[in-house]
This record gives sequence, structure tokens and C-alpha cells, in this order.
Amino acid sequence: MREAWVIGAASNRFGKMPETGREAATRVALEAIRQSGLEPKDIGYTFVSNCFGLTEKQGHVGPLINGGLGIPEVPSCTIESACSSSSAALHEAFVHVAGGFTDAALVVGVEKLSHLDTLTATSYFAEAADYAFETKNGATFPGLYATLANAYQKAYPMAPEVLGSVAIKNHANAARNPHAQFQKEISMDTYLRSPMIASPLRLYDCCPFSDGAAAVVVAAKEFVRHPVTEPLVIRASARSGSITEMQDRPDLLGLPATRTAAEKAFRQAGMEPKEIDFLEVHDCFTIAELFALEDLGFLPRGTAGRAEVEGVTARDGKLPVNPSGGLKAKGHPVSATGASQVVEIFEQFNGLAKGREVPRTETALAHNVGATGGSCSVHIFSRR
Amino acid sequence: MSATDPLPSAPHTVQEFVHGYEEEHRLRGFRCPNCGLTTATWALACPHCGKADLEEATLSDRGAVVAFTVLSVPGDEFLNDAPYAYVVVELDGGGRITGWMPSVKSESDLTIGTRVRFSPSYKPGVQFVKDEGDAPAR
Repeated sequence: MREAWVIGAASNRFGKMPETGREAATRVALEAIRQSGLEPKDIGYTFVSNCFGLTEKQGHVGPLINGGLGIPEVPSCTIESACSSSSAALHEAFVHVAGGFTDAALVVGVEKLSHLDTLTATSYFAEAADYAFETKNGATFPGLYATLANAYQKAYPMAPEVLGSVAIKNHANAARNPHAQFQKEISMDTYLRSPMIASPLRLYDCCPFSDGAAAVVVAAKEFVRHPVTEPLVIRASARSGSITEMQDRPDLLGLPATRTAAEKAFRQAGMEPKEIDFLEVHDCFTIAELFALEDLGFLPRGTAGRAEVEGVTARDGKLPVNPSGGLKAKGHPVSATGASQVVEIFEQFNGLAKGREVPRTETALAHNVGATGGSCSVHIFSRR
Repeated sequence: MSATDPLPSAPHTVQEFVHGYEEEHRLRGFRCPNCGLTTATWALACPHCGKADLEEATLSDRGAVVAFTVLSVPGDEFLNDAPYAYVVVELDGGGRITGWMPSVKSESDLTIGTRVRFSPSYKPGVQFVKDEGDAPAR
């Protein structure tokens, strides 16, 4: 297996895009390629994620992006894994590059939802659950995570302020991230006064609907030779799955796919959680950040809430979590999220995360979940 | 599932599960004779042990709430029903199923452990009400 590097990573500002998904994807892709020091013609394969492209009446977007980059002959395919789509695409790029099939691969994630009304967008999100056995019984996407939160709260009682502290921390980070949808801090009072969506989750526990695009260039170490950026060495690229339906999960106190993906990733990297400097984790809802910290093996079960309240996960804390603002405040354009986590790690490694720097940037981990954990990706990066 | 196993004949379809809830007023499921798992989800092979030998079962219509949420913002087929509870129920005799409870309007109306009963109506999905009857003998 060859060593694979991330040598370029770019994102637009999440929120509401005036242009179409295809235009935004092509733009961030060109930006990431230019930053990497490569030319579009160096790309051997393009992996695209665009779960809800059909809402723009556009499928098969890969060839359109490659055409727009001037490389129409380059093969492409679309990778779908719900909210973990572009980390799944990154995994495919890693497999191609590390396996020697391609010297350089492009990963592009893009989503546009702002042309849909909230109800329609909510329905699309719920499609990643099991329609017959969950959605048809009244579940929504927030409702499913709220149900898990309820089970967790029963096992480990916590005040509303615990989840509130996750939201406040992630908003504070997003306020310093030019890619973020919500570039403003919130107070505990604002959090507590926000309306209940699905108990115990309030509006400020939930990630927003977002448009956005992010792209990553992966290349073989031997192909790059003289990198113009500080590359992220991909030390592990692991994926896992679990039964989707909540009714078939004996344990509701976390996401089993995170646990198995993390075990694989740490084994692949030959590393332990204590060697990781900072994390980008999948906080589609505040409770999901607690699950991530425990399921990834950073904190014992039932203790992540206390760590959040005590500031352990703050940007200047012992274990900075989501310095980008996370899905919660940076935004969650479904298919762009996994790639955008890598953009944040790339910017931190390259001194581009101005005003939101974390203290140590030798290693980092990205954790991306599909829906309620039917899919999960864990990537571990280090410096050369 | 191994290569030498005959392909399982699906005892029923996803649509038949839904038909079971809504028309026959029963909770259909599977039991795995190999590992003993009871599931209310359609499958060809057991999600626990992988053996493709699932037997049809009618699950109990009574059980206890394992986890729940009260939704203020509903799913699009439940627009006029919010708030309502979405529940995970551990059924007596085995198997878990998710459903919804239109009578639960606030978080304080329900606790984990509350006894519930499957109560089909003209509404879609698996609908539960609080079970005011006696708990089953254990």
C-alpha cells in the first residue's frame, strides 16, 4: 500500500448558495486542485457526493464537474452514504491512491437544499431512516436522535445546560470560521429559550439545513514529490456499518458503527486516542457529539457531558472538538460535510485557521456518520 | 447465510408488515430458531446471527417504553398530530418495535418503563396507547 496524502482542500461558505450545486462543486474543486499545486489533468479519478442532486433535477453530476474542470475524459462516480457520503468518497479515493490504481484523486461533496421549503427538506432528510419501520411510525431525523438522547439521559441524568454547552462551544468556534453558516456566538439563555423540536432537543441542539460544497485532493506521496502545502498523511481510512433500525439495536447509548469504525481506524494507524491532538466529529445534534467522544474511545461512557461543561473540548482545551463549529454551527450540507471536516483539519495544519487555531496540530481525527449510524467513517491524519 | 443454504423464501414482504399493522391489526415479526432473536423488522437473514432461517411470528401487542421523544415538529405524514410521542417499545415475549402515541402531548406525560398497548386506528403506522390494564405475569 502506498502512502496517501491530502494536498489540497477547499470549501465555500455554507448556508445559502446562489449558484447550482454543480457550479459550486466545480468551483471548490478547482480551488482545491490549484491549492495542491497539481493541474486538473493530473487527476485520475473524481469521486462525487450529492445525495439530493435529484431535487435540482440533476443526477450523474461527476462528468459535469470534470467537464467544467477541462478534464471530461477522467472517470467519475457518485458515492452515496447519507450524511457520511463525502467521507465515503474520501475512503474510495484513499483506496484508489493507496492501492496504486490512481496517482491523484479528487473528492467533491456538494448539496443544495435552499430551493426547498422546510417541510420538503425535512422529508428528504428522513429518507435516510427506514421509511417503513421508522418514518412511517412518526419518526423524523431530529426525533430519532432525540429518542437516543432520551435513553442516554435516563442512564446518565444531565441538566439541559450540558447539551447547551456543546451548542455554545460550537457556535463560538463557527463565529471565527469564514466557511461557517452561523458566524455568531449564542448565550445559554438563547439556547434554553429556543423552542423544543423533539424533546429533549431544542432548536439550538439541531444542525441547520445548509447549502455548501467542499473538495479534497488526495495524491500518492511518490507522485507529489515537492508538496506546496503541508500535507495531511492519511494514517487511517476506516468505515463501518450497523443495523439502521433503532428497534433492532440492543444498546441505545451511542452509535455502534462509530465504535467499530474507530477500532479499525486506530488499529490501521497503530495509534491510540491519547495521541490525537484535535477532532472534527459528527454533531448533527448536540447529543451526537457526546456519543462521538465516547464511542470513538476518547472518554468513558457517561462522562462526555461533564467534559463539555468543563471546557475540555473548547478550542484551547485539552482535547479541542469541532474547531470549525461542527455541523451544528458551521452547517450541514449533507454530502459536503465529510469533505469539509478535512478542509478544517487541512487549514489547521497549514496555519490557515486564523483566529480559531488549536494548540497542537500534529495529528487529527475526522468522524462522519450516515443518518443515525447505519454508516460511519473515521479518518486519522498526521503530519509527514 | 452460507453458499450451500437454499435461498430463503421470504415469508412476507415489507408491505405485508405494514398491512399487518393497519389492516389485520397485528404486529408481524420474525423469530430466529438459531439464536432466538425476535425482530419486528423485515429481513431475509437474522441481523444477529446471519442465519437465513427466520420464522414468521405475531408479536405481543403489549410492552414497555424503552425510549421516547415528544415531537413538536412532526413528520410530513403527521402534520395535524403534533405534538405526539415517538416510542421504542420492548414487547412482552420479545422483540422491539417503534411506534407513535398521539395521546402524549408533553414530555411529562410519559416515562421510560410506561406500559403501552398497540392500538391500531385509521392513522398510519404503529400506534400505541398507555396500557391501563394489569401488567402480565412474569
